[in-house]
Amino acid sequence: MNPIRKKRLYSILFVFLFSVSGISLILYSLNSNLDFFFTPTELKNNIIPPEKRIKIGGMVLEGSVERNGSKVSFVITDYENSIKVIFEGIVPDLFQEGSGVVALGYINNQIFYAKEVLAKHDENYMPPNIDIENDS
Amino acid sequence: MIVEISHFLSLLATGLFFLAGYFSLFVSSTSYTSNLISRTYSQAFLLLASSFLIYVWLAVTDNFSVEYIANHSNSALPIFYKVSSIWSAHEGSMFLWIVFLSIWGFIFNIAVNNNDILKPKTIGIVSFILVGFLLFLLLTSNPFATILPIAPINGADINPVLQDPALAIHPPTLYLGYVGFVIPFASSLAFLINGDSNIKWEKSIKKWSVMAWVFLTIGISLGSWWAYYELGWGGYWFWDPVENVALMPWLAATAFIHSLSVSIKSSHLRIWTILLSILVFSLSLFGAFIVRSGIIDSVHSFANDPQRGLYLLAFIGIIIVTSVLLFISRFSMIKPSSNIKTLSKESFISINNILFGTLIFAIMLGVTYPLFYEYLFDQKISVGAPFYNAIFIPIVILASLFLFLSVDSKWSRGITIDLFKKPIAFSAIFSIIFVITISFLFNTTDIFILLSIFAGSLIISRYFIEIFRYLFNKKYLNPYSAIAHLALGLLLVSISFNSLLSTERALNIKLNEYEEYEDMKVYFKDIKLIEGSNYDAVKASFNIEDEKGNNFNLNPEKRRYFTRGQITTETAIHITPIKDIYLTIGDQLDDGSWIVNIQINFLIRWIWFSAALMSFAGIMLIFSKKKSNI
Repeated sequence: MNPIRKKRLYSILFVFLFSVSGISLILYSLNSNLDFFFTPTELKNNIIPPEKRIKIGGMVLEGSVERNGSKVSFVITDYENSIKVIFEGIVPDLFQEGSGVVALGYINNQIFYAKEVLAKHDENYMPPNIDIENDS
Repeated sequence: MIVEISHFLSLLATGLFFLAGYFSLFVSSTSYTSNLISRTYSQAFLLLASSFLIYVWLAVTDNFSVEYIANHSNSALPIFYKVSSIWSAHEGSMFLWIVFLSIWGFIFNIAVNNNDILKPKTIGIVSFILVGFLLFLLLTSNPFATILPIAPINGADINPVLQDPALAIHPPTLYLGYVGFVIPFASSLAFLINGDSNIKWEKSIKKWSVMAWVFLTIGISLGSWWAYYELGWGGYWFWDPVENVALMPWLAATAFIHSLSVSIKSSHLRIWTILLSILVFSLSLFGAFIVRSGIIDSVHSFANDPQRGLYLLAFIGIIIVTSVLLFISRFSMIKPSSNIKTLSKESFISINNILFGTLIFAIMLGVTYPLFYEYLFDQKISVGAPFYNAIFIPIVILASLFLFLSVDSKWSRGITIDLFKKPIAFSAIFSIIFVITISFLFNTTDIFILLSIFAGSLIISRYFIEIFRYLFNKKYLNPYSAIAHLALGLLLVSISFNSLLSTERALNIKLNEYEEYEDMKVYFKDIKLIEGSNYDAVKASFNIEDEKGNNFNLNPEKRRYFTRGQITTETAIHITPIKDIYLTIGDQLDDGSWIVNIQINFLIRWIWFSAALMSFAGIMLIFSKKKSNI
């Protein structure tokens, strides 16, 4: 093969290998850092290992909010199934019983330990996958 | 009545912009047509600007027969917020976006001589983009719609978290940045259409590009600063989808400006420069699509309307496909005649392009992957900070190392990198000692934080040596590059220390009692109900005694606004050069104590200062008389 062509072939191969390995590294890191979103019902049908970070969303069950020191516990429900959530810190301004909430954290023995609790900055916000009208 | 005039002027402007575009792209070009295009554009701009000014006047005079103004403004608001209410929601902000786009075109139109060979085509492309967006505005999101026959007596008020000076200027600044890249985009397309590879179009758009980049930088930092003190979460960056769609054009623009300086010098990297100019503008449009189509859930997203999303997607698709096809068809014209030399300045900048491209690709994946995943597997997922950190930290460190090595590099010839050469060795030794000291002082072995501090310290010390040599040895120094890169080093160091040292805790405190946190005494002095003009609030008063015995008061609030019943947190922040003490108040517990969240945020002010310094370097370049390089 002619030396110029040979050089060109090598550089194309190099660029190709480089991009493939770069893209696979990015995809790998994406796959290991995804947060899956579940409603309480979906949670029941899936087994989630305790080290897997997930998001859950639903409504805060009326009468379920209990405070203990700086810890707050409440029940997230989709009015079919529900799960208990424990969170340490200040819940967001729009957090209230009977309204929508999304929590990010880990599940262990049927209790969800939240690292973050979000209620969107929008009074009309509904968590995804729930289509019930808010009574209040 | 007046609103109809405003509406009509916008319609007329749309028609004239169409004519300007038509003349420039479909009528053979003579000096007569160049003048015609230039004048048509200017007149269309004046019509559109008048239309917008009338609209502003309508907002200021509380004309609530206009539906949009009725829904987003209120007669009790100060004039400043009456004006800013125009860009507090979709229709009005789209209007502003378009007006800004036309302003860039207008300034270009009067600044560039009609004899400039690429000018008519550039103006024509800007005009067609304007027509596309004006049609989008008028057909799917009409800000001129009225409530007739009976207008409401008062408006519904602007969202209280948006009643803030930083937020009133954040969107306009950001928009000026986004749409400013229309000039480089249109110029590079005009260059491709024209087909003469000898035209040095790169030089003429340099300052335009830097100006748009400065606006984008300031706009993003203002948003970050606002979120920090207004939303009450602390922190400066959340990897929220809408932050991401602003970061992508910024990264592309930064790469573009670097690449542009190579193309100005030697016509090398023209492929990169043209592709990047298309990429920057496409990403700006993509950002508009993400925010305005409602397909992504975010604190920023506007109301959901599939029709708008579809129109925008189609329009953006047409722009991207057309420009990429044009690029491919003219590929032979921009192919470089020779390869660039290894270890020359050009080679370092192409490495930079590749690294920035990777970052953009990763963000794009993070933003769009959840959409595809949900569509394919019917499972909602989200991509959070861990993914972006895993990609950004190593690549930014790598890019910084290349920057460090490139400081001595020369145009169009290679350098030999000698690690034992004085400046390089000095910076390296200094940085290694610095990092080891930090590691012992703060007892940390977090490799990524230490490496980031190392990278930042390399850049800062290296450029300090350059500045020193400039001052005492009269060695040549590019001041804009030096300042902007010093700012990058400072940014890396500030971010690293911020994530290394900052802490946060929720405390329970009863009135007249205190809690201790990080050698500070937080004393709960007082709490009372207060009334503002359009809200009532609980205002707490804390006295904090820090480790040195200094005393200061912090008064966080929780407000409830009357018109929407919305509750907001007003943070209280004690600012020192090294750290912020950041207090928010939560709910009252059954035993009478209150939850108080306290954060200590280290070097957070320096993060925004770095961004300001970068922008400052850009502004210096814009106002410089000398023809310089970046």
